[in-house]
Amino acid sequence: MSVIARGRGEPVNSIWLVVFAVCTYLVGYRFYGAFLAAKALTLDDTRATPAERLRDGHDFEPTSKWIVFGHHFAAIAGPGPLVGPTLAAQFGYLPGALWIVIGAVLGGAVQDFVMLFCSLRRDGKSLGQMAREEIGKVGGFIALITVLLIMIILLAVIGLVVVNALRDSPWGAFTIAATMPVAVFMGLYLRYWRPGKVLECSAVGFVMVLGALYGGKLVADSPVLAPLFTYSGLVLTGALIVYGFLASTLPVWMLLCPRDYLSTFVKLGVVLLLGLGVVLLHPTLKMPAYTRFVDGTGPIFAGKVFPFCFITIACGAVSGFHALISSGTTPKLLSKERDARGVGYGSMLLESFVAIMALIAAASLDPGVYFAVNSPAGVVGAAPAAATATITGWGFPVTPEQMNSLARDAGEKTLFARTGGAPSFALGMAKIFAGSKWSSALLSFGYHFAIMFEALFILTVMDAGTRVGRFMLQDLLGHFWPKVGETGWKPGMIGTSVLVVAAWGYFLVQGVRDPLGGINSLWSLFGISNQLLATVALCVGTTVLVKRHGAKFMWVTAGPLVWLVVVCFTAGWQKIFADAPALGFLAHANFLANGTHTASTAALIFNDRLDAAVTGVFLVLVAAILVDSMRVWVGVLSGARESRSTETPFVASVLVEEV
Amino acid sequence: MLALWRRFMRIVVGILDEVFDQSAYRRHLEVHGVEHSGAEWRRFSDARWEGKARRGRCC
Repeated sequence: MSVIARGRGEPVNSIWLVVFAVCTYLVGYRFYGAFLAAKALTLDDTRATPAERLRDGHDFEPTSKWIVFGHHFAAIAGPGPLVGPTLAAQFGYLPGALWIVIGAVLGGAVQDFVMLFCSLRRDGKSLGQMAREEIGKVGGFIALITVLLIMIILLAVIGLVVVNALRDSPWGAFTIAATMPVAVFMGLYLRYWRPGKVLECSAVGFVMVLGALYGGKLVADSPVLAPLFTYSGLVLTGALIVYGFLASTLPVWMLLCPRDYLSTFVKLGVVLLLGLGVVLLHPTLKMPAYTRFVDGTGPIFAGKVFPFCFITIACGAVSGFHALISSGTTPKLLSKERDARGVGYGSMLLESFVAIMALIAAASLDPGVYFAVNSPAGVVGAAPAAATATITGWGFPVTPEQMNSLARDAGEKTLFARTGGAPSFALGMAKIFAGSKWSSALLSFGYHFAIMFEALFILTVMDAGTRVGRFMLQDLLGHFWPKVGETGWKPGMIGTSVLVVAAWGYFLVQGVRDPLGGINSLWSLFGISNQLLATVALCVGTTVLVKRHGAKFMWVTAGPLVWLVVVCFTAGWQKIFADAPALGFLAHANFLANGTHTASTAALIFNDRLDAAVTGVFLVLVAAILVDSMRVWVGVLSGARESRSTETPFVASVLVEEV
Repeated sequence: MLALWRRFMRIVVGILDEVFDQSAYRRHLEVHGVEHSGAEWRRFSDARWEGKARRGRCC
């Protein structure tokens, strides 16, 4: 029906995307997931899981599969599946939708499932530990370094999304600033006033955040207060850096813990709401199936649909970060091995569906509006008339009056050049709920609610990520100076926090000052690094499968691995060496060097060269782990190397009848 | 139908209890054979977050 509608030039309803996605997930889960469980992984319910054997009432506890499913989904769902598909909508809705659905069924869900299985058979070991044991010390060390570098790029790029969403927005800035005292209040509430009442405390926190949202409107409407909460990108960047440092060094209960509970509370509610909204209201897709920008001339980020669509959408299709979750808490909760299919494979399919909903939210906007919001001023022009003329010239009509009216309805001064994906996702989501009437009150609250939700989400990832980065750095430096490795030693704690914050802060400042909006360089860097982490996970998965079955089932993980290696190395190579200044870091540096020099030219040239070097380091690290893994595979398959399993020995389960 | 609804709600409450650490706290009280108190919650919460804070949140 959708093909016929397209052939007739009729608009396509988003419900077709939902039907396509859900049907593919069901077939994938029923047949491919079942095949993996039965043949490749040979899940065995008679074997006791770590939760049963090591039951301690804390981390290891046999738990109902539905509860583990919810727990795992809450852990893997982040801002990525909302932002990536929104940005990739510049290619049209079709390339992103196909990658999200097919990539998840054949790649992302397979990675999550296999990693969960590997960890399940190894007492819940982490990805790094498994890389060290299965591939070797080099592989383990590279996995550690890769994760640390990825963390730094991740924090910078999601920080940029927040900065771009809150820049010159007193409503948004006030709401997010108010979530800090709300979190401290929640911390005190939970620790001293109502200990243990986490759900109650989260609900109270949520009501307070809704109050802050309303307060944000009052602030934005006040001629006295609005200027006090109107900040430039650089001021917001400074605030984020200070926040990251405080979150990394303050006691966990004061900020990190309550923010995490609050963010999870809002996250689960909004994902449910968005799903209901998309299914019940099923807006029409206004974005074409594919746009002229598949040729690589897109304004939001440069690069052709291959490989950049597959880099831009990482979470939602294949995300290396999930491997860290699948090899963390989840395997310690599964009571039966066969539950791993629903939890590992099934949760990723649900995450993929969240990405489809984000794509629908972006594609249901007028394309002219979508490009006006997401295109940096450096590409389309800073003046509204120039920007709309450029975008209309591309075949996506939009007028300054239309954008002004929309900004007024959304309670913002302007919606031009709000790069980063968050504002256009928020606008699309608000528009779905406001319906065709465009009720301005509903639209403005919906827009700022979505901004608050995304920023809350992202700040939680940032404060937790900074702390994790600090621990990793302490571990790493502890090898050379043992005192630094002691987590309780304050100078070490503060010093490593400063180093981690300075590292992601540097890239964040670079993105904020970038005349092309920052997303062009940083999001692709993040996408490449996240997919490279997935290649590390798939290397471990393939090694385990080769040791178990020889070459018979290695295609299960080697297939997505080959695809990701081709995508990442093509994208990485193009980002470093492409001739077009909009795409290649080095070409852009040369372009700047040969042009008119301003005060910031030298810094911009240095940043381009640094980005090229970081991309190169990523590629070298992953090439090294790939070669190391291939050495193991060839050795095992040729019989030259012992196929030693690191699985824990079989212990019969007594829970099988019980559960 | 009512039974199905009850089962569904039990699962929802179970997920929320697990996600928000309330089940883990109940298990902690059982394993250690202690009663709920503010001090016990703080002991549990500090130990739990010592591990949780070392794990990254997914992007």
